[in-house]
Amino acid sequence: MRNMVSDAPRTTLTAFYWAFILYLLLPLTLMMAMSFKDANFVAFPIGDWTLDWYAKVMQDKQFLEACLYSIMIAAASTLAATTLGTWIAMLIVADGIRGRTIIFALACLPAVVPGMISAISLRIFISTIDMPTGTAAIILGHTVHAVPFVVVMALTRLRSMPRNLVDAARDLGADGVVAFFRVTLPYLGPALFGGMIFCVLLSIDDFVRTFFLGGYRPTLPMLIFAKVQGGMSPEINAMATIVLVVTAAVGLYAEFITRRARTR
Amino acid sequence: MEPVVQFDNVNKSYGKHVAVDNLNLSIEAGKFVTLLGPSGCGKSTSLRMLGGFETPTSGRIMLSGKDVTRVPPNKRNVNIVFQDYALFPHMSIAKNIAFGLELKGFDNQRIHRRVSELLELVQLQDYATRLPAELSGGQRQRVALMRALAPDPDVLLLDEPLSALDAKLRQQMQIELKAIQEKTGKTFMFVTHDQEEALTMSDTIVVMNKGRIEQMGDPNTLYGRPGSVFVANFIGETNLLRSTVISSEGDVAALNWNGITITANPGGLTPRHGEHLYVVLRPEAIHCSAAEPVSGNRVKGKIRQRVFKGNHTSLMVEVGGGAMLNTLVHPSDVAQLGGEDIWLGWKPETTTVIPDRHAHN
Ligand SMILES: Nc1ncnc2c1ncn2[C@@H]1O[C@H](COP(=O)(O)OP(=O)(O)OP(=O)(O)O)[C@@H](O)[C@H]1O
Ligand SMILES: [Mg+2]
Repeated sequence: MRNMVSDAPRTTLTAFYWAFILYLLLPLTLMMAMSFKDANFVAFPIGDWTLDWYAKVMQDKQFLEACLYSIMIAAASTLAATTLGTWIAMLIVADGIRGRTIIFALACLPAVVPGMISAISLRIFISTIDMPTGTAAIILGHTVHAVPFVVVMALTRLRSMPRNLVDAARDLGADGVVAFFRVTLPYLGPALFGGMIFCVLLSIDDFVRTFFLGGYRPTLPMLIFAKVQGGMSPEINAMATIVLVVTAAVGLYAEFITRRARTR
Repeated sequence: MEPVVQFDNVNKSYGKHVAVDNLNLSIEAGKFVTLLGPSGCGKSTSLRMLGGFETPTSGRIMLSGKDVTRVPPNKRNVNIVFQDYALFPHMSIAKNIAFGLELKGFDNQRIHRRVSELLELVQLQDYATRLPAELSGGQRQRVALMRALAPDPDVLLLDEPLSALDAKLRQQMQIELKAIQEKTGKTFMFVTHDQEEALTMSDTIVVMNKGRIEQMGDPNTLYGRPGSVFVANFIGETNLLRSTVISSEGDVAALNWNGITITANPGGLTPRHGEHLYVVLRPEAIHCSAAEPVSGNRVKGKIRQRVFKGNHTSLMVEVGGGAMLNTLVHPSDVAQLGGEDIWLGWKPETTTVIPDRHAHN
């Protein structure tokens, strides 16, 4: 009896924990389950199982094009954000730079501004400079959004870097540029890799900015959104499941790589 | 012969703080020179100025006859071994050593040959493909040394490279370092605050204090003939006997120390009656005996403390007037001293006399 009483808080906590996990996983599981349903409406019972929806998605030209488009945008904005973010981080740790706090604050701002506000202001900005909506604008929007994450990740790593490493490279005959590419950049490697994966996921996932800045070509989230408006069908479930599995796998792989590098 | 390194009136200040104060120093080629001094005396700053990482506030630094005062680190032919080694963590041992050679534009074959030759010198041939994290402290130390030696610098700079090692390994590395220096014939400029390290390895020791050179000389001279109280205290164990001059003629000065009359050779000094002097008396110069010595300076004392140190026993002996003398005896001789009351004796020529800079009070 006494045991049960004293264990009560613990038991409750465990129960909440499992309830939370269930709450987290149930919708995803349902979504995945429905993608295997052999009927063209989303509802229980599932009845017969099939892989037809996946076959259909894989032959869906719209889906494949949206995938490619999303990946292209993600690659471009990741490249831009990583370059920019690394450069800003280097600037912040450099000797004799004034106002590094301000630089840091400005670089981090896009991470805390609500997506909606940032999207609207970007839209106003591009129309002010007469830039058309479409690919370039989306890439710009995604880049601005991703830079703060790169800056923070690069900074954390830079601050743990022994100062002497760059001095040693200079001492052995490297000028500033060679020292950066041969010593600093490889040292930053794992952090930048993690940051890049994060940028890719942010970009693939982004809806609001893309919505405001995009043209007629849909990215993946926009395509799925359009399809949902035309009514739920297990095909959408299959699409979403593919996206979920791929992004989760990429995320976990990145985590694994950065963790391994960090313990070295 | 022209010196490899020359500091001419070099000053370095950080704001109001003077880190290096009018440094003048020339270093001959092929010598093992050590900058020795307490923490914060400006050793690292001097070394970093020679490496090109700090610019002197004023003065001139010459390297192999060229003015390098304002030349960036990658353009001067000196290399540093850093205290924490600063090995590139993502490069193999061989790659680390090859780094400087690649930047010098050597071809692959030549780089490979040089790297193998250097790895062999420190018996690390089998470790070429390992990463620095996979080596022991002593091995990393050797790699850092070889990486700095690889591009064949005019001078090798070493900033307390042994301080991260444990005592045993440190002694071993001291000997190895000296052997490598002799084998390669390179000029080494070594920084340490450990006087024992300096005595073991150096051809020349430069004792620094508060940004200035206090004294410079070979280890024997610095130990045997310290020029100031600071040097006497900093290098080795010492008894400093503050004495008053009774009389002085030629090589013999009669001094009053704590009411006891002793004699010493005033060296180049011409002390006057009533002036204060310090007599530097090393513990090992004192001879302990049960009976009164027949000649030389002698004083009766009482053993207050004995500390067994393995190869010798250190004795603290109280002599007249409450003064203490630090001395040492061979462990097997301790018994022959009889009781606690003993005689201490020393030859006047084993001591050095230092003027008291604050003689007025
Ligand atoms: N970048 C700097 N800014 C301000 N003061 C400095 C700087 N570098 C060194 N100093 C000061 O200059 C003095 C000499 O420093 P230095 O590093 O040369 O000492 P050191 O003899 O190498 O001491 P240690 O044995 O502790 O390494 C110190 O008082 C230090 O505080
Ligand atoms: Mg130092």
